[in-house]
Amino acid sequence: MTLNVLVLTDQRGGTLKTASRETLSEARRLVERAGGGRVWAGLVGSGLDAILPKVQEMGPDSVLLMDDPVLKDFQAAAYAVAARAMLEGIPSPRVILAPATAMGREWLPRLGAALGTGVATEATEVVPDPEGGIRIRRTVFGGKATVSVALPEGSCATLRVNTFAADPRPGQAPVTRVPVPEIPKEARAISVESTVEAPRDTVDLTQASIVVAGGRGLKGPENFHLVEDLARILGGAPAASRAVVDAGWRPASYQVGQTGKTVAPQLYIAIGISGAIQHLVGMSNSRCIVAINRDAAAPIFKVAHYGIVGDALAIVPALIGALRAERP
Amino acid sequence: MHLIVGVKHVPDADTRLRVDPSGTTYDPDGVKFTINNTYDEATLEESLRLKDGNPGTTVHVVSVGPPRAEEGLRAALAMGADEATLVEVGTGTELDPLLTARLLAAVIRGIPHDLVLVGRQAADDEAGQVGSALGHYLGLPSAGYVTGLEVDPASKRLHIKRYVEGGEETLGMEFPAVLSILKGANDPRTPTLPNILKARRKPLRKVPVGDLLPALETWPGGAKPTSRVTAFQLPPPRAGAKILEYTSPEEAAGKLLAALREEAKVL
Ligand SMILES: Cc1cc2nc3c(=O)[nH]c(=O)nc-3n(C[C@H](O)[C@H](O)[C@H](O)COP(=O)(O)OP(=O)(O)OC[C@H]3O[C@@H](n4cnc5c(N)ncnc54)[C@H](O)[C@@H]3O)c2cc1C
Ligand SMILES: Nc1ncnc2c1ncn2[C@@H]1O[C@H](COP(=O)(O)O)[C@@H](O)[C@H]1O
Repeated sequence: MTLNVLVLTDQRGGTLKTASRETLSEARRLVERAGGGRVWAGLVGSGLDAILPKVQEMGPDSVLLMDDPVLKDFQAAAYAVAARAMLEGIPSPRVILAPATAMGREWLPRLGAALGTGVATEATEVVPDPEGGIRIRRTVFGGKATVSVALPEGSCATLRVNTFAADPRPGQAPVTRVPVPEIPKEARAISVESTVEAPRDTVDLTQASIVVAGGRGLKGPENFHLVEDLARILGGAPAASRAVVDAGWRPASYQVGQTGKTVAPQLYIAIGISGAIQHLVGMSNSRCIVAINRDAAAPIFKVAHYGIVGDALAIVPALIGALRAERP
Repeated sequence: MHLIVGVKHVPDADTRLRVDPSGTTYDPDGVKFTINNTYDEATLEESLRLKDGNPGTTVHVVSVGPPRAEEGLRAALAMGADEATLVEVGTGTELDPLLTARLLAAVIRGIPHDLVLVGRQAADDEAGQVGSALGHYLGLPSAGYVTGLEVDPASKRLHIKRYVEGGEETLGMEFPAVLSILKGANDPRTPTLPNILKARRKPLRKVPVGDLLPALETWPGGAKPTSRVTAFQLPPPRAGAKILEYTSPEEAAGKLLAALREEAKVL
């Protein structure tokens, strides 16, 4: 069986997201598992020349480039039309993959709706389906269950970030420029008025491979810097429970959980967080979970892999001290 | 202004799930269903706030689901929605997120709508597909991960904030439009007893799914699901945390770092 894969990359803001690199690598592995086929990297946007080498470095067979000022800002409707035009040159059987970033998660369902094919989001595993198309696995119910989903040839899937390895393979894939198709009226009804970028030295919570989260157990805003200090020294992002956000210790952008962000990093350290279900649904898919809590019966210990029962205000400074001693 | 809100009746977050004998879904027996404590309740609250701030605004809640989904719609009416429509499907009907979106689009086409609001994802399937797909099927612009919105009914423009990795964008948008709401900490209102009683008299229309399906045959994707769940599995119960024993905070820190490096290999 062969399978051709179009990877729609996320390079919003002019940098190729790590998640795009992961998806390009998994597309290569998918084609190998299928026993043949080609990987196309599809880039849609404006002013993309600078990132071309970064895409080629991930070993696609071809690069399709649709670079035009009208596509400067991401909008699902316009980008879905753009992706359809790219698909024209790609022979069946084929599938479309994208990283499950905010952009990919909005883009692919709109594309799949237009194509009339299947769509699955946040896949944690992708294999060729002997009956054609692919089978993916994903978690549902906030990590309480997983499902396998069969998607026919021609379908779309987004791949969960921080889940697939990015392994560069030197290559010089040829670049084909694809002209911009006509953009429908509804896609022109949106315009980006401004973009506020997070400060450069901070790591985005949903992309971070390490997240350090603090809860009410930190006792007050004056101690919350312990969470931020530990996050910084580990190269991760700080986060918080809703109790911390509601108390006004930190802004809503910190919140992980049902009404906050969903994260699935390699390492999640929960400090002074009890582990309410609404918090767990936002982080229980993390690969390794550490809980630091004074109460040995706190529910967070049920989902954690490692636990320290004790006072966060003593343990966290000791952790920071140990890490600082290693990297003077 | 006419707002439409999609709400899905889903198992309560605290419910323990069991696998159905078919192996492809959960067993609904004994499961408590709700629209509460989910993304949809936050979306509904957002639309009710728009209604409070813009006199003359109506909120129409729409759900695709089995007969029990009527309870969810009644709860939404008790919170303050004005009208409800249930697209009633039999328990055996197979749906996927895109077919759900097609059914929603088919009923929404027949209802006045300036703004269609849905949750960032349903609390059960967590697909996060219905919003953008609805945008396509209704021929409307769509935006996801919306964290804030303001409406200017006079100029028919919306100003929305949306989350992007590493920042936030402010968009200007014409409506009608479809928005998927990713809301931070907002507290959904609790229905009062008079409102619960009033909700019983508010209009709730039921549309059998069979009335809508034939028209979908000619849509991309058609009247059948285009993806299929082949297995539904519960993860093996976790053993619980390995609790590290220590006599000083320094020893605890040392043991944790060693475990994360040598065993878990995440540092
Ligand atoms: C509709 C709805 C949506 C919600 N959405 C979210 C959400 O998105 N995210 C979220 O997080 N919550 C959410 N919640 C709230 C959730 O139910 C909990 O109330 C919240 O997560 C509790 O936060 P916490 O763990 O910081 O505080 P608490 O539950 O108060 O826990 C504090 C913990 O700190 C421990 N502790 C105390 N002192 C120390 C010390 N010195 N050292 C170490 N440990 C200590 C305690 O033992 C306790 O376990 C939601 C609730 C509802 C109803
Ligand atoms: N069966 C349904 N009936 C009404 N609205 C729905 C239904 N399924 C999904 N939605 C809406 O679409 C959002 C996203 O759902 P999903 O794409 O399934 O994750 C939900 O938060 C709801 O607002």
